[in-house]
Amino acid sequence: MEKNSILKLTDVTKRFGGLLAVDALNIDVKEHSIHSLIGPNGAGKTTTVNLITGVLPVTSGTVEFMGQNVTGKKTYEIARLGIGRTFQNIKVFQTMTLLENIMVGGNQLTKMGLVRTILDFKGAAGEEKMLREKAESLLDKLGMYHLRNEYMKNLPYGRQKISEIARAMMTDPKLILLDEPAAGLNPSERAELVKVIQQSFEEGFTFFLIEHNMDVVMNLSDDITVLSFGKKIAAGTPAQIRDNDEVITAYLGSAFVKNKEQEGAE
Amino acid sequence: MNNMKNNKNMKNALKWAVVLAVVLCLPNIIRNDYWMVVFVRVLINIVLVLGLNLITGLIGQMNLGSAGIYALGAYSSALFVKNTGLSPWLGLLVAVVTGIVIGLVLGYPSLRLKGVYFSLTTIGFTQVVQIFLNNMTKVTGGSQGLKSIAPFSIFGFQFDSYIKSYYLYVAFVLIAIFCAVRIVNSKWGRLYRSLRDNSDAVEMSGINIADVKVKAFIAAAIFGTVAGAMYAHFYGYISPSTYTVDISMNFVLMLLVGGLGSVSGAMFGAVIVTILPELLRGLGNYYLITFYIIIFLGILFFPNGWVEAASRPIKKIIAKRKKEESASGEK
Ligand SMILES: Nc1ncnc2c1ncn2[C@@H]1O[C@H](COP(=O)(O)OP(=O)(O)OP(=O)(O)O)[C@@H](O)[C@H]1O
Ligand SMILES: [Mg+2]
Repeated sequence: MEKNSILKLTDVTKRFGGLLAVDALNIDVKEHSIHSLIGPNGAGKTTTVNLITGVLPVTSGTVEFMGQNVTGKKTYEIARLGIGRTFQNIKVFQTMTLLENIMVGGNQLTKMGLVRTILDFKGAAGEEKMLREKAESLLDKLGMYHLRNEYMKNLPYGRQKISEIARAMMTDPKLILLDEPAAGLNPSERAELVKVIQQSFEEGFTFFLIEHNMDVVMNLSDDITVLSFGKKIAAGTPAQIRDNDEVITAYLGSAFVKNKEQEGAE
Repeated sequence: MNNMKNNKNMKNALKWAVVLAVVLCLPNIIRNDYWMVVFVRVLINIVLVLGLNLITGLIGQMNLGSAGIYALGAYSSALFVKNTGLSPWLGLLVAVVTGIVIGLVLGYPSLRLKGVYFSLTTIGFTQVVQIFLNNMTKVTGGSQGLKSIAPFSIFGFQFDSYIKSYYLYVAFVLIAIFCAVRIVNSKWGRLYRSLRDNSDAVEMSGINIADVKVKAFIAAAIFGTVAGAMYAHFYGYISPSTYTVDISMNFVLMLLVGGLGSVSGAMFGAVIVTILPELLRGLGNYYLITFYIIIFLGILFFPNGWVEAASRPIKKIIAKRKKEESASGEK
């Protein structure tokens, strides 16, 4: 039985001046699946995520989310519709505690305006409690509850990175875009990450995953799209992609070697 | 655990009670008109800086438009009261409305302009306000300013002496502190700080940054225009020469001295930066330069503010004692 699509890119194109960063890309992410986007450096993966989230305007093409055309919508509007995201170069609130970082992610769940927050003690305390409890339970799930009062800047890079997933989950998005979540993580953190993604998937989240680490990709994905110089060169199941000659020449060959080297170094 | 928290709250409450007691007794201790005026200025400055703290302290945008906001608050209230003959309390309300308008005017550029470009815009704003006040002679009295502005009064009781104004303004400051604490310690304060650290991540959380920022600017501007109205109705006289970029700088210094982002820091900074020059006046020609040297050295050596610097050794001792306690508890 074919699943419904949750995210659909149709002929999405992005030009930066003379550079064609994303070239007539078609992607169909199925509801409740883990869909990976892989490809060499500079292939246009992050750009694709930026186009989906409205951070960059598309040159042409359309992005549909849950049947609704979201092309041209503002980032915060797209986020409100149910798309969460983490960043390749982490974007966390360095001067705030881990717990505060996560709580900001859920701010949109609260309703009280500035004046009411000042005057309504009980209401404000209630919202605060809701945010704190939700953030704490997410941190618990990610095994970071004990670090909740640490300042973000004092946490190891891997923890900071994983915390972005918790922040993205605060608003219960339908779809979460992860841009290279395993990069910079040590093997135990990476294992933790895979566990978190798997567990969240079982709870009903859908993931769109950009990742260079092939163990992670092959383990987790239902579908894979391969990008090279902005163009889709292949799409299919992990098994299909693994055996695709074009993918091996354009990307996997070198990536597999790179991964092996990395593991040897660690 | 709970006990410890209660204990901390108790200590905090006690600390503030002592401060309030001192503030209330001050006129009886000092009994000097010159210093009463200085203290009233401290109170007015506290109100303004509590607003500036939202923008420059929490959101982290260097706002040098304080003088312009302050001026428009003073003039809008004063002009309204002088032209209508109505109560300064209504003038205060007009100042609040003025604050809302200024918040909108300054809030929108803050969305597009980053760093130094935003600061330059706010300097421009202050300059434009000054030129406007100087040149619209018919309305504003030009460089002569406005005289005989009525003081606040309640049911015929006029706040026309320094001491009476002082107590009235202590009440104003208490209300301002209440609002500032409620904002800074709420989800809004947290959101403002997160904007300072990374606005992309905030937007991806579904937050309309434009909306949040413009409202923060409105709140901050209301503190500023209320401070302006307090100034006008206390002195009874205002003129454009008061509202220069210099005093915008002074307000920022207050924040830096106290430590960006904290309410008690902003208040402490307002006290130091207002009172210190007066204490140094004995140095004659050198008093201002001495003042600025002290302030800049202070900021250089204690970049997180003097309050934090002073409390650091105390915190260390507490942490050490806690460690010892838990160590002995484990045995
Ligand atoms: N804002 C921009 N302006 C101009 N060029 C850009 C911009 N963003 C990305 N590019 C270019 O677009 C191309 C695709 O970049 P992108 O960051 O999407 O690659 P990627 O697949 O995410 O690579 P990596 O694996 O290294 O993260 C690159 O050549 C990059 O230099
Ligand atoms: Mg990338």
